[in-house]
Amino acid sequence: MTAVYQPAKSPAYFLSDALVMVGRSLRRSVRDPEAFITALALPVTLMLLFVYVFGGAFEAGVGSHGGYVNYVVPGLIVLCAGFGAGTTAVAVATDMSSGIVDRFRSMPITAWSVLAGQIMASLARNLLATALVIAVGLGVGWRPVASPLDWLGAIAMIVLFISAMSWLAACFGLVVGSPEAANGATFALMFIPYLSSAFVPAGTMAAGLRPIAANQPFTPVIETMRGLWMGHTSTGAALGHEALLAVIYFGAILVAAASLASWLFRHRTASH
Amino acid sequence: MTTAAVPTPGPRPAPVPGPALARRPSPATALANSFTLAWRSVLKIKTNPEDLFGLWFQPIMYLVLFTYVFGGAIAGGTHQYLQFSLPGVLVLSVVFATLGTGMMLSQDISTGVFDRFRALPIVRWAPLAGAILGDLVRYVISILVTLGFGYVLGFRVQTNVVAAVLGCLLLVAFAFAMCWLSAMLGVIAKTAQGVQWWGFLFMFPLVFGSNILTSTSSMPGWLQAFVKVNPVTYLTEAERALLIGGPAAVAVERSLLWALGIFVVFAPLAVAAYRRRT
Repeated sequence: MTAVYQPAKSPAYFLSDALVMVGRSLRRSVRDPEAFITALALPVTLMLLFVYVFGGAFEAGVGSHGGYVNYVVPGLIVLCAGFGAGTTAVAVATDMSSGIVDRFRSMPITAWSVLAGQIMASLARNLLATALVIAVGLGVGWRPVASPLDWLGAIAMIVLFISAMSWLAACFGLVVGSPEAANGATFALMFIPYLSSAFVPAGTMAAGLRPIAANQPFTPVIETMRGLWMGHTSTGAALGHEALLAVIYFGAILVAAASLASWLFRHRTASH
Repeated sequence: MTTAAVPTPGPRPAPVPGPALARRPSPATALANSFTLAWRSVLKIKTNPEDLFGLWFQPIMYLVLFTYVFGGAIAGGTHQYLQFSLPGVLVLSVVFATLGTGMMLSQDISTGVFDRFRALPIVRWAPLAGAILGDLVRYVISILVTLGFGYVLGFRVQTNVVAAVLGCLLLVAFAFAMCWLSAMLGVIAKTAQGVQWWGFLFMFPLVFGSNILTSTSSMPGWLQAFVKVNPVTYLTEAERALLIGGPAAVAVERSLLWALGIFVVFAPLAVAAYRRRT
């Protein structure tokens, strides 16, 4: 049987299809209350844990201006985006393994909108988690000294970071065979932020871990946000240098992951 | 129109002997049933990759993370912090391992395995007892992995072998009490994910609202008040005393009292919930 010929659609159609898919993804998130509550409760729990349980012990080692909470907020945002990536990978893997994509292909919709919908929904979910981290941070004593322009820069960095992580998660979801495997595959994304300057400065870590913490992609993102919000980085490097590194790292990850995910999606949904 | 003849009520036929009317099994049989199902529970560990991951890699991950990533910031050096944190990581690993009991039970009940067990000539409570007995092996594995890897990293018991063994037995006793809470959740919750969720809701404040990884004095006053009455704090203090030295009597006594209290409250609740569900 030959595939139904579909004429090329305008960007407006594509956007309309993608928004429908975003709605579908977000509705599915809300209808899984355990996962939804966990996604919202996790940032709050981690914030309280690191600020109140470990904060006093870390403060001497971190030497942060205005307490440990001012140091930790950017790290928690990055960590929560890592957890969010797990959700995205599972959602993509579920779609690919449940046969729903084959149903969508029989409809007059743009093929890419399925993947784009998942990515945009992931961005929305993660931005909500980020807003929650910021709100709880402000509640427990985080006091940024940023100007509106700095805030805009920090938000742009968060959007770039979450987009790159979402596309990377989509790649994991497309490569593995099952939702369970997708969850396992993204475990590294949740663990890597711990080996950065997210929670403690690289200088306080064991000698073997210092170069890893100082030179991995998550550190420049965290330091850029820290620099924009608090007026200084914890590494002592210039804000511009950290921001440039972050944009190069995650710009490259975004382009590579989006290209790979698109190819994988096309490859896995091709007519046999 | 003819009416159907109504049969005259005669003597009721003798009931067919079935599982419900089987003779009450002897304690030896009941124990044998429980141990058979405990062995099944042990065998299930190696077929469940998530469980294996939890038992082997979680303690290792916690030790590496807290010792090498956070140790310098907390204690100024990794070795000093390893000596302080390993007893805490032992407690953390074993207490979180108790969640597996509830998850396995929930899985077995929802997949219909327990309905099959009811058709067998075994004691009704044997599947529950078997699951809990089998999980004691999981706690021992968790303890051995944590201690073994701790030794590789440089941890050293500074008391003696007897004290260290007593520390391990105390952990198993506390875990045995906690697993009844997990078993109750496993029977009540609809899914294994539900058990995990509710379990974390109960255990996260208990485990992290304690002195397992940092000293109580570094926490804010309102949190210190909770930490000082938390059973996990007493257990951690007992483990530190038995593994690296210090006064142990009060902490051990309070840990055992808490374990007994948890058991007395949650074991009957778990059994009652199990009876209702099956």
